[in-house]
Amino acid sequence: MASNEEQNHVLEFFTAMDNQEGVIVRQAPKLDLDLYISNYKGRTRFERLLRIGQCSVPLCQEALKAAIVEAKQGQDTQRYRDAWECIRIAAPNEPEAQWDSAWVTNTDKTNKHETYRLETELKGYKNNLVKESIRIGHRDLGQHLESIGDLTGATEAYSKMRPDASTQQHILAVSKHLISTMIQKRDWAGVLANANKVVAVSVPPQEQNTEQPYQKMVSGVAYLGSDKYLEAAKSFLEVGDPTACQQYNDIASVNDVATYGGLLALASMDRLELQSRVLDSSTFRNYLELEPHIRKAISMFVNGRYSACLAILESYRPDYLLDIYLQKHVSTVFSLIRSKCIVQYFLPFSCVTLDSMNATFARPGESLEAELITMIKSGVLKARINTIDRLLVAVSTNARVAMQTKGLEAARNYEKEALERIRRVSLAAANLEVKGQSRNAGGGLPGVGDLWSDDNGRRLLNPGESAMG
Amino acid sequence: MDQYASALLAFPPETDLNDNALYDQAARSHLNKLSKLLKERSNELVTYGPQLLELLDPSVNSLSYLAVLYTLVIPGLASSASREFLLEKVTVFLMTFDGRQCRYAGSNLLEIMGAVGSGQLLPPSVAVGALASAVLNIDPTGTMLTSSYLMLAKLAYHTDNIDPALQVIDKNIVFYPNMNNHGDPDCLCDLSLSPPSYITRDNGLTATMKPAGVMEYDLLCGLMFCSRRDWAKAFAAFERVVTFPTREGGASKLMAEAYKKWVLVSLLLKGKQSELPSYTGGVANKLYGVVGKAYTNLASLFVTEDVQALRSEAEKNGEIWLEDCNMGLVQEVLAAYQKWRVLGLQDVYTKITISEIRKQTTSAETGEKLGKDEDVRMLIQNMIIGGMLNGVIEKNDDGTDFLTFLSPTTQLSEQDFAKELARTAMRLKQLQPIFKATNERLGTNKDYVKHLIKESKRTDKGDGQDPTLGFDSQVDDEDLMGGIITTS
Repeated sequence: MASNEEQNHVLEFFTAMDNQEGVIVRQAPKLDLDLYISNYKGRTRFERLLRIGQCSVPLCQEALKAAIVEAKQGQDTQRYRDAWECIRIAAPNEPEAQWDSAWVTNTDKTNKHETYRLETELKGYKNNLVKESIRIGHRDLGQHLESIGDLTGATEAYSKMRPDASTQQHILAVSKHLISTMIQKRDWAGVLANANKVVAVSVPPQEQNTEQPYQKMVSGVAYLGSDKYLEAAKSFLEVGDPTACQQYNDIASVNDVATYGGLLALASMDRLELQSRVLDSSTFRNYLELEPHIRKAISMFVNGRYSACLAILESYRPDYLLDIYLQKHVSTVFSLIRSKCIVQYFLPFSCVTLDSMNATFARPGESLEAELITMIKSGVLKARINTIDRLLVAVSTNARVAMQTKGLEAARNYEKEALERIRRVSLAAANLEVKGQSRNAGGGLPGVGDLWSDDNGRRLLNPGESAMG
Repeated sequence: MDQYASALLAFPPETDLNDNALYDQAARSHLNKLSKLLKERSNELVTYGPQLLELLDPSVNSLSYLAVLYTLVIPGLASSASREFLLEKVTVFLMTFDGRQCRYAGSNLLEIMGAVGSGQLLPPSVAVGALASAVLNIDPTGTMLTSSYLMLAKLAYHTDNIDPALQVIDKNIVFYPNMNNHGDPDCLCDLSLSPPSYITRDNGLTATMKPAGVMEYDLLCGLMFCSRRDWAKAFAAFERVVTFPTREGGASKLMAEAYKKWVLVSLLLKGKQSELPSYTGGVANKLYGVVGKAYTNLASLFVTEDVQALRSEAEKNGEIWLEDCNMGLVQEVLAAYQKWRVLGLQDVYTKITISEIRKQTTSAETGEKLGKDEDVRMLIQNMIIGGMLNGVIEKNDDGTDFLTFLSPTTQLSEQDFAKELARTAMRLKQLQPIFKATNERLGTNKDYVKHLIKESKRTDKGDGQDPTLGFDSQVDDEDLMGGIITTS
């Protein structure tokens, strides 16, 4: 009885989410929530928990409860409010669904007090004109504001650190703080700009190595956010040492890098590149070991077993849909991979029966034809459909015909242009150009008088329709 | 009577006419005699005119014939002969006269042509044919626009007698009256002269042309080709108006009218809106964007599958089409919509059944799919016959009809290809006299000569100087042909 009631609440919650056009994942993902969230630290934990709670039907209650706990460990009361709004509907009978107003009032009060204290301190530092103290003051204020969820204020405070940053390390720190807030604000352009600064400041070669994982990872995430899949894939593939990468799990875990990098490479690179840059890469291999299904999918693709590759990816779709960065892009990336598979499958043939295409790619009982037509129309697939013999036929480009057509066209255009040029020279010589009156007209609007003066055009055209029949 | 006859028959002499100077002299003295005759004895000429006309051969004694005819026709038909007789003579004369002789009496000829062109003397179908021959008798190359061309085009279009005018409006016009720097030629009768040197306002073979007149002519040509459904030529004609050279930010209403028609014809010819050529005037370009909005909207819907949107756009702007007199063209566009959709299928299919075509394409005239497969068959067959579609309708074993698209261009044999190229080269060679005339004209342009003199002086002076200086000045040499493209 109780479980039935619970289900009703969950149903109610997802009806509401559906009305807000949120993504809803009904299948159970392969991930284990506790294990998954232990991969992360910092503010991203809450974000991820809440997203899973809002999207995944099987994990909804568990994730929302964890989100409440997570929120109450921090100082961000708004986050608590957000999570509570969800759990209130989804699981009203859980202890976590009780509104803890004492905690909220308390935390708000401490937060306000702390902000005031830090601002006063900063004012004191400024009066003393000690650069280092001012920088630290700004940093502390920024960190505090970030932790209570005032991201705009945090960004402002962090950027005020820049004038007082005197060493490479300081500049690096400014950029990292800024990137952290900007990722939370989803300001991808800002992330990219600051990520580039991270490279620019780390001039000595050994230092670049230590910063590379961080820089490549954040730019990968930012490129992904701005729909630049190839650039994102390249960035993720170059992240390098997994242990160095591990320490930045406040943004993305090592497993995420493997998933993002592999999927996006599959969507944007050709077979040769996939082999050399993904499968044969000595550094990225370490990542792929963490997510073996990605490696399997890629090698399936490289070996031409497209349906198997698609099946693996399809089985992980729920997992990808629960990822905060990947969620928006899953359907695009999947359809990119799918159409690439179709194109690759067709490549060695001059003609394939539609039935064998259906057997390989279509879901049972459905036909691939509509999808093929869209692909042909958009120019992705260079082929034609023969509905009589049920074939997909490759377009043979006859270079000779193309050359001849081009040659004849060039000859025609040359002739046309020669005539046109002579004609224009003659018109100019006969002083027959249409002249603007902007300079020599006595009054009136510039140009307009001339424009509408040759009124005989109207009279001339009226009987025109009769001849048109 | 006899003395007139002998005087009139005196030219052309039976001696050798190849020498231009002699011919010129003879023609001019004969002209003097004729004008004296016209002035002093015009009454007798009117009386004996009909008989004299019988005596003279219009293709040989053209000047004399013209003189007699002129007295009988201008200012009104003389009463000394029947109307039919005179009109027949006028027609015969216009069809057969010798253009070389008539260069000497341009204004009289123009007056007679004007009388015919007014459409009151002859029935329009005859008048158009006679004028067309006359125009080509004066200038067989047909490369120069004169006021007679415009008159002819107006008459032909408004009276719907297009066929006899085709031989004229088909010509490529490259010369215009009163181009500067065409000085008086030594001998007017010289057959090697380019048209602009002997057709001038001064010798009366053309009246003054204005820009509006030039554009009107091309616009009329376009409309005539439209009514013959020759979209390619209509497109070219409208494009000439749309890209008409402008200066100092000029633009004209005629150009806007032409643009609207140009967009529609472009849909019919190419299935989509063409891009404006790069040499279109800047201000004109902006003007088109404003006044042609309804048309470009229609064009952008024409290439989509959304037939309802196309139809509602066409209906919504019905008043605009009517006002611009483009209703007929818009209907043509709607009728062509389904054809272009069928044509678009060849980018997706190699073979497709007729019934599938019926399901996938919609008529823009009714907004519905065609009712029967048979209608689709008819549509496709018409397209194949009209050369729009390269394909065949075949029958399957089980009796279903299907359309096979053939590859768009079948390969030419090496010989055919070479022949085709040679033909283009030929046509380019035929442009040689035009090119030569243009080149000569530009080469003797006052400004250009001045420029040359300055140049040579500078090189003379610059002998002792740094050679690189001279090189620089060579580089930014004025490009006379190239700079004309955009003049606004």
